[in-house]
Formats: sequence, structure tokens, C-alpha cells
Amino acid sequence: MSEDRSRILNLLAGGKISAEEAERLLDALDARQGAAAAPGGAGIQGDPGPLIEALPKYLYVKVLAANGDNVDVKIPIALVRSGLKLTSLIPPQAMDQINDSMSKHGMSVDLSNFKPEDIDELVGALREMEINVDAKNGDTVRVYCA
Amino acid sequence: MKVPPMIIDLRVTSSQRRPFHLWLPLFLLWPLALALGILALALTIVADAVLLLLGRRYHHYTALLVRSFGVLGETRGMVIRFTNEKTAVDMTVQ
Repeated sequence: MSEDRSRILNLLAGGKISAEEAERLLDALDARQGAAAAPGGAGIQGDPGPLIEALPKYLYVKVLAANGDNVDVKIPIALVRSGLKLTSLIPPQAMDQINDSMSKHGMSVDLSNFKPEDIDELVGALREMEINVDAKNGDTVRVYCA
Repeated sequence: MKVPPMIIDLRVTSSQRRPFHLWLPLFLLWPLALALGILALALTIVADAVLLLLGRRYHHYTALLVRSFGVLGETRGMVIRFTNEKTAVDMTVQ
């Protein structure tokens, strides 16, 4: 196994990247190695470093209120992933209380629906997500990954 | 290896008060947290074993504790910034 390939697999094993991202990186690596092996492809290296670096690592939430209050939050995506995985281990009684409390505050999300096997896919999709809200009163909310 | 957050850097600037910069050395708390964590781990292992023997469906308190430490370890790099006309608060977990 090449060093690059094992590096990607180590990132996957360490939970730094999702299975979907690992697959994408391995495909890109294969494509690069294929191009390097092909005639005229000399000089293209199979180093996945730039590809890995290019993956978004943080989730940004920016709120710009018309009254001048601004909130800017930067959350590591690894924290989002770990947090979501933690929800599958919360005792059922506590989960019911959390869900009740969240629904009282207008967030009807059942956390018990997050299955560990779906979380990597969810986080992978989150990396490509972008939300822009421009309210009538001038407030703006931006959620994106970079 | 996952490294837990070592420092919380808190800066507060205000037009009405003197600005201050607080540097919270979390690494000083980790030895104490480690001792408490080991104690809690021993308790959860016993609790899980008892729950398993009793045939309860939920017996994952050890996993919950370990995963919680993992979540804590992933907080490095988090930044929370709040600004308005008078005040600016900046918190960075390093």
C-alpha cells in the first residue's frame, strides 16, 4: 500500500474524514497516479496533501444584526461529528427530556433519529452546505463550511 | 493522538470599561480531570456490568463517558466572537 493511501485510511480511521471523503480522496489519488503513469503525465505527483488540506475543517455561523450586534462562531467539523455521534449514546430518558426541551424552544428535531452509520454522510453533506438568510429588517445569517 | 484544549483565550473590550485579556490555562486542570475521569470510568464500568446482568437495554455509560472526553478533545480551534457598538468579546479555544 502506498504511503498516501495509508495516510488517507489513517485519517478515516481517526475520524478526521468521513468514508465518503476518503473514497473521494482515494479516487482522486488513483486518477492522479493513473495520469502520472500515462504517457505525457510525468511530473504529476500522487500526494493527497493538497486535497486533504482543501477539505473544509470548520463550520462558520455568522450573524449580522441590523442593530449592530454581530455573532461569529467557528466550530471544528470534527466537533460536530463527535457531538452527533455522542447523541447515539445518550440514555433514552435523558434523550426524551432533551427532545422535549428542544421542541419547547421551537426545534422539533428528534436526536434519537441520528444513527451512527448516517453521521459520516451527514457531515460530508454539511461540508458542501451553505445557508444565507437575509431578513427584511436587515439581519443576515450565514452558515457555511471552509 | 487527540490533544485536549490547553488554553481558553478570552478578550473583552468595551468602550465603557478597561479592556481585559484572560488566559485560562486548562492544562492545569487536566491532571485533576484525569484522576476524576479514571474514578468515573471505574464507576461506569461497574454500572454497565450491573445493567448488563440485569438485562437492561441501555448499558453504555462507559462509552458515553469516553465519547464525551472525545468531544471535549475536539473543541480545539473553536472561536466565538460577539461584537456590538460598545463591546467586543472574543473567545478562542486553543
